[in-house]
Amino acid sequence: MGCATSLPDRNSGALSGLSNSENAVPADAKNLRVKLVLLGDSGVGKSCIVLRFVRGQFDATSKVTVGASFLSQTIALQDSTTVKFEIWDTAGQERYSALAPLYYRGAGVAVIVYDITSPESFKKAQYWVKELQKHGSPDIVMALVGNKADLHEKREVPTEDGIGLAEKNGMFFIETSAKTADNINQLFEEIGKRLPRPAPSS
Amino acid sequence: MLLSLVSKRSLEVDSRDAYGFALRPQHVQRYQEYLSIYTEEETERAEKWKNFLDRQENRAAEPCSSEEEFQDSFQADGLESGEESDSEEGSRNGKHEDCELSGTRVLQHLEQDRTETAGDVSKEKEAAEEAQVLDEHQYLREKSLRRDTEPVKDEDEEKFESDKDKESSVESESESDKEQQSQAVKEPVDHVHLVAEEDKCESGHDKAEKETKARSVIEWAHIRPCLGSIEDMMCARVKNVKYMKNNQKTIVGDHISPRKESLPSIEESEQNSGENDRDSETSTSRSHSMKEEQGSVSPEPFFPWYEELEVLVRLGVPKDLRGEVWQAFVGVKARRVERYYQDLLAQITNSDESSSDVQRKWKKQIEKDIPRTFPGHPALNENGRDSLRRILLAYACHNPSVGYCQAMNFFAGLLLLLMPEENAFWTLVGIIDDYFDGYYTEEMIESQVDQLVFEELMRERFPKLVNHLDYLGVQVAWISGPWFLSIFVNIIPWECVLRMWDVLLFEGNRVVLFRTAFAIMELYGPAIVATKDAGDAITSLQSLASSTFDSSQLVLTACMGYISTNEARLEELRKIHRPAVLEIVEERIQKGRVWKDKKGLASKLYSFKHEGSILDHEQKSTQRNDGEDPDDDDESCSPSLNLDGANVDSEVDSLPDLQEQVVWMKVELCRLLEEKRSAVMRAEELEIALMEMVKEDNRLELSARIEQLEREVRELKQVLSDKKEQETAMLQVLMKVEQDQKLTEDARISAEQDAAAQRYEVHVLQEKNEKLVTQLAQMEKKLVTAETTLEATLQYESGQNKALSSSPRFTRTTQESPKKKTGFLSFGLGWRDRNKAKQTDESNVDNTSNASSESKSPSKESKSEDLLNPETRR
Repeated sequence: MGCATSLPDRNSGALSGLSNSENAVPADAKNLRVKLVLLGDSGVGKSCIVLRFVRGQFDATSKVTVGASFLSQTIALQDSTTVKFEIWDTAGQERYSALAPLYYRGAGVAVIVYDITSPESFKKAQYWVKELQKHGSPDIVMALVGNKADLHEKREVPTEDGIGLAEKNGMFFIETSAKTADNINQLFEEIGKRLPRPAPSS
Repeated sequence: MLLSLVSKRSLEVDSRDAYGFALRPQHVQRYQEYLSIYTEEETERAEKWKNFLDRQENRAAEPCSSEEEFQDSFQADGLESGEESDSEEGSRNGKHEDCELSGTRVLQHLEQDRTETAGDVSKEKEAAEEAQVLDEHQYLREKSLRRDTEPVKDEDEEKFESDKDKESSVESESESDKEQQSQAVKEPVDHVHLVAEEDKCESGHDKAEKETKARSVIEWAHIRPCLGSIEDMMCARVKNVKYMKNNQKTIVGDHISPRKESLPSIEESEQNSGENDRDSETSTSRSHSMKEEQGSVSPEPFFPWYEELEVLVRLGVPKDLRGEVWQAFVGVKARRVERYYQDLLAQITNSDESSSDVQRKWKKQIEKDIPRTFPGHPALNENGRDSLRRILLAYACHNPSVGYCQAMNFFAGLLLLLMPEENAFWTLVGIIDDYFDGYYTEEMIESQVDQLVFEELMRERFPKLVNHLDYLGVQVAWISGPWFLSIFVNIIPWECVLRMWDVLLFEGNRVVLFRTAFAIMELYGPAIVATKDAGDAITSLQSLASSTFDSSQLVLTACMGYISTNEARLEELRKIHRPAVLEIVEERIQKGRVWKDKKGLASKLYSFKHEGSILDHEQKSTQRNDGEDPDDDDESCSPSLNLDGANVDSEVDSLPDLQEQVVWMKVELCRLLEEKRSAVMRAEELEIALMEMVKEDNRLELSARIEQLEREVRELKQVLSDKKEQETAMLQVLMKVEQDQKLTEDARISAEQDAAAQRYEVHVLQEKNEKLVTQLAQMEKKLVTAETTLEATLQYESGQNKALSSSPRFTRTTQESPKKKTGFLSFGLGWRDRNKAKQTDESNVDNTSNASSESKSPSKESKSEDLLNPETRR
C-alpha cells in the first residue's frame, strides 16, 4: 500500500549467487540489487522512512534503533528493471557513528536524512556527507533527504539549504514525509534510476 | 516494579504479551501457542525455587518468618502466570483495593508531606524549613516501612504474625539508615504492593500534583530475606571484584591520588566488613576507567549450593521473584550508597542551567528517547516515564564516561518494570559499570572488541555458515552487533530475553551473550545457508530470531552447548583483538575532533571525554566524600555533615543555624564544584577546539598553498622543457644558419679577394694605360716634331734641287745622296698611303689593344714606323 511500484515477492529479483553485495550492483542488468544505508541524526525519522517504504506503516513513536536494523524491499522501475534494496537503518546517536563504517562500507547507496525542523540535524547531515566522501565507496550514490516535510510550519531548514548542500556534493535531494508518505516512493525510485547499470555483457 | 501495574485492562489488546510488551502481528499466534508452555514452566520453576529457597533458609538456620509469606506469594505466582485468566485478575484487583483501603489515609498524609519536601528541596528555603524537611525524610522512611507491612497484613493476617511482632523493633532500628541497612535481611518488604498501591493513590488523588510527580516514585525497597544468602554471595563477588580491581590499581601504581587515600580504608573495610566499605566500594565502582573484567571470580567454594542455583537460574527465575533475584545477582546491596541517588537527582535539578554541553546533550537525547522506549507499554505512563528519565539522568551524572547511550533506555525501562526506581538505578549501575564496562562509552570499544571475538569464534564453530555469509558478502557483526548492544532486547521474544538476562546477571559477565548468539546461529544456521542473497539471509535470520519463542530450548542450548566458551577464553581473545579496535578508534578520534572543532561545537568532543571523565571521577569522589558518607564513622567527624547525619545527631539539632549554614554551604559547594567542573571542561574543550582549529586552518592553508606551488612548479617545469625543446630546435636552426653564413662569408671573402685581384689588375692595367697614353702623347709630340722636321727637310730638299740645276758640281754629289734619300722617303710615303686606305676601318681602340699585345722592342720599331706613318699621312 505504501509503495505502488513495489513487488510483493521479494525474490522476484532472483539473482546469480555470484553477485557480491560488496559491489553494490550485480551483473544482472534487469534485476539490480543494492545495499543502501540510512544515516542521520537521532530522531530524524530514518526508521520511519524505511518502515513507510517497506511496510507502508507509520508509527510516530517507533522504537529507538540500537546498533542498526535491516529491512529489504524490491521495487520495479518504469524501464522494467527491478531493484532490490537491502536497507541498513543505523542508530542515530552520535556515539553509534563509531559503528557506522561497518554498515556503509561497500554500500552502493547512502541516504542521509535530516529533519527540516532541526538545524542541528542538518549539520549532522553535512558531517555524514563529508564522512562518506572520505570513507565511502567512491562511486556511492548519495541522496539527501529532508524528512518531516509535513511539519512545514515548524520548518527551520530552508529547502534551498538542502538543495545547496546536495548540489555542492553531487547528491540527489528530496524532501519527504514518512508520516504522510509524501515522496517516500519517489525517493527510492529516483535512487533506483540513478544506480549505475552493469554493462550489458553477452 | 511497574510490571505489577500491567492489568488485564492493558493486556486485552492482543498485540501485547504478559509483560505488556508489544507483539508483532505475525507472532501473536505463536505466542498464544507458547503461552501455555510458559505457564507450565512458570509453575514448575516456582515450585523448584520455593524448595530451594526453603532449604536455603533452613540451612541458614534462621527461624524464618517469611517462609509462609513466600509460599503464599508463590501461590499467587501460580495464578499470575496464567495472567490472562479472569479469576486472577479478580484476585489482583481485590488485593489492590485492600491496599487502598488501608493505605489511603497514610498515603494521603504522605503525599502532602512529600509535596512539601519536594518543594522545599528544590527551592532551598529557610533554615527552619530545611530542618523540617530532614525530619520529614526520616519520618517518611519510617512511614514507608510501616506502610510496607500494613497492607500485606490486611491481606493475609496470619502471614505476618511474626513480622508484626518484629515491627516495633524494625521501626526502632530504622532510626538510622545504617542500622536499617544492616537489618535489611530481616525486613520483609513487599514492595510489589507498595508501588502498585502508590500508583493507585496517585491516580486517585488529583492533588498529588506536579511536584509530587517529580519526586513521588523515588522508591527503594530491600529484597525479601529469603534471597539474603544469594545476595550475600553476589555481594561478596562484587566486593571481591572490586577488591581485586583495587589491588590491581595499587600494583599498577594507578595515578589518581585521591583514590590512594581511600585505599587503606578499603582494606580495612574488607576486614571489618562493616559499613565503612560502602564508601570505598562505590567510589571504586565508579572508577572504571582502568577496570578489567573480573566476572569470572567464582564464589563457588564458599557456597555449596552454587551449582544448584545455577541450574535453577538456567531454568528461569520465577516472574514474581525476578526483580529481587536480579538485584541480588547484581549485588545491589553492596553497590548502593545511601542517598547517593537522591543527591544525584538533586544535583541534576540544581545544575539545570550550569550543566555542561555534554550533559545537556545527554539530556536532550534522553528526552528524545523516552517516548521511544517500549512505546505504548501500559506501565510506562507519565509516572513511569518520569522514573525512567530520572534513572537515566542520574546514571549519566553518575558515570560521565558513559553518560547516556541508546539501549540504556531499554535496560532502565525493563528494570523499572521489575523493581522500584532506586533499585532499578543500582541494578543499571551494576550492569553498565561492571558487566558491560567499556561497552557503552563514547567509543564503544569493548563492544567492537566483542564483535571481533564473536566473529572469530563463529568461524571456529560454524565454518560452513560463515563461509556462506562471506560468500553473500554479509559480515557477522552486522547482525550480531545489534544483538549484543541491545542485550537481545527487541531481538528475541521477551520470555527469552528475560531468561537470558537471568543467566547474564547471575554469571556476572557477558559470556551468555556469546552463547545465546551461538545458540541462535545453531538453530537457524541451516536456514541461512539455504539463502541466496545477503538480504534474504539477514531478513530470515532476523525474523527467525524474533520468533524464537521456545525460551527453554534457547537458553539451555546456549548454556549447555557452548561451555567451552567461557570468560577466560573470551578475555584471551579480547586481548588479541583490542589493539586493532583501539587503533581505529584513535584514528577516528583524530578525524572526528578535527571536524567537530571546525564546526565550533566544543560540546561534541569525543576525545576530550576520557580526560574529562577522570576529572569527573575525582571531583565526584570528593563530592561524595564531602556529602555522602554519613554512615561512615571515620568520616563523621569530618567537617562536612550530611543531611541525615545532621538529623540523627540530636546535638546538632540544637544548633539549627549552624546546621543550616552547613547544609547551605554544602549545597553551595556542590554547586561550585559542579560549576568548576563544567568550567574546566568547557575551558579544555575550547582550548582543544582552538588548537585544533588553528592547526587545521594552518594545515589546510599550507596544504593548499603547497598544492598550488606544486602545480605551479609542474607548470613551470612543463614550460621549461618546452622552452628547452624550442631552444634546441632554435640552436639547430641557428647552427645551420651559421654554417650558411660561414659559407656565404667564405664565398664573399673569396669573391672579395677576386674583386681585389681584379681591381688590382684593373689598376695595373690603368697604370699601363696611362703610361701608354703618356708615351703616346710623347710619341705624338715626337711625331709632330718629326713631321715638322720632315716638312723642313722636304722644303730644304726642294730648295737644293733648284740650286743644283744651276751649279753642276753640286749636281754630281747631290746625285748620289738623293738616291739614298729618295729610298727612305718613298717608304714613308708608301706606308702613309696604305694607312690612308685603311683609315675608315680602324678606330681609336687600336691604340690600347695593339699596345697591350705588342712587346716593347718590336712595338718601338712599329711605333717608330707608326710615328712615321701619321707623319707621312700628314
